[in-house]
Amino acid sequence: MKHTLRSFFSICLLLLLTFAQAQETTPKGEQAKQTKPVNSDSKTAKTNQIIPEAQLPLVEISPKIIKSDSIPLKTDRYGVRVGLDLYKVTRGLYDSNYKGIEFVGDYRLTKKYFLAAELGNENKTTDDDRVNFTTKGSYLKVGFDYNAYENWLDMENIISIGMRYGFSTFNQQLNSYRIYNANPYFAETPIIPSGKKFDGLSASWIEVVAGIKAKVFDNVFVGFSLRLNRLVTNKEPDNFSNLYIPGFNRTYDGSFGVGFNYTVTYFVPIYKKKIVAKKVEEK
Amino acid sequence: MKKIILLVLAVALSFSSCEKDDICDANTPTTPRLVIGFYDFLNPSVLKNVSNLKVVGEGMTTGILFNGAETTSGSMISIPLKTVGTTTTYSFTLNSGNSNPALVDEDIIRFDYSTQELFVSRACGYKTIFTLDPTNPYTHTDATAANVKWIKFISVEKNNIENENETHIKIFF
Repeated sequence: MKHTLRSFFSICLLLLLTFAQAQETTPKGEQAKQTKPVNSDSKTAKTNQIIPEAQLPLVEISPKIIKSDSIPLKTDRYGVRVGLDLYKVTRGLYDSNYKGIEFVGDYRLTKKYFLAAELGNENKTTDDDRVNFTTKGSYLKVGFDYNAYENWLDMENIISIGMRYGFSTFNQQLNSYRIYNANPYFAETPIIPSGKKFDGLSASWIEVVAGIKAKVFDNVFVGFSLRLNRLVTNKEPDNFSNLYIPGFNRTYDGSFGVGFNYTVTYFVPIYKKKIVAKKVEEK
Repeated sequence: MKKIILLVLAVALSFSSCEKDDICDANTPTTPRLVIGFYDFLNPSVLKNVSNLKVVGEGMTTGILFNGAETTSGSMISIPLKTVGTTTTYSFTLNSGNSNPALVDEDIIRFDYSTQELFVSRACGYKTIFTLDPTNPYTHTDATAANVKWIKFISVEKNNIENENETHIKIFF
């Protein structure tokens, strides 16, 4: 488990890096191809027309016309993105100890900021060396994403850093346990069946999210995110511990946790906003 | 942006490598043993060394190992209690293995207690703590050969066996 988790992380992060690089190189190429011909065409066209007329006043006007030609190309679409965490769904197919689903959604507030939320339900049986328990519960995470990626033209990719506040209500059922005896003289280490249920548990935490969403086609996005969690509140059962919290995942000693999701989302556009090009005016 | 991704990568890798709570740390207090001290019957405040004491649990063929040996000549021993059930019986044989059979003396003590199971951690699971029966914590009998018991008096110092930092039982001989 330890080794698989470690290699899993490294694979994820490797993917993350290749994604990031793949996205940053393509737009530069596209920009180079698309912007240059437009400018040169319009310039030559305009100058051809202008030449016969008076020279002095029109020199200043002509660049302004070029601006208004090129600017409307770029519009930002605003809307709601809804989708599903594929990892949780597929894990339920091959892991008989796990059932889970997570809906994800975000709403674009401004050019850079997205209101984001995840809503999920998990039913997981954890089989450790010494304890076997089942955790059932639902969770909600609400927060924001900040898109740090500068898109060219009509691209809508997202490389984001964000935060969430997560809250989960759940119950734990201790299926079986073992007594730890450092001096096993009597050679008794039976697995003791328990079935004790701990109800009404809850926990809340803060997540830092790093994510990527890429537009695959039309309005469909594929993305994944990596999360670092820190518990804020944790209502623990008597004589047991919240070793797993839905949404937070496995708890470690120092109240930290990690998570990730792999999402497919559909973007529902609501309105469009033209981009006011400030940079061109500065020139 | 790349710097942020690298930061996330570094943090995530550090997280993935600190999964030490899979193994129960030996320093974690888990199921305690019964700590017995041997004292001089004539001078009750002074610890007295036993000579070649062998302690065998009921139904067991080998004795408890003290520093790798089955006999001890110290004044303090720690013996485990059964976590399943509420009674553990031990035979205490003094001068075990001595060539003179007259010196070999075996006494039997049965400990009666109640147990409680407490959660420790993911890696250690649960531990058992014991409470010696308040009215009848032990039963002291001699082995089949009815000679004089070598143990003259048994005193229960602590009824609650929760850790190994204190002497729970004092045996005077």
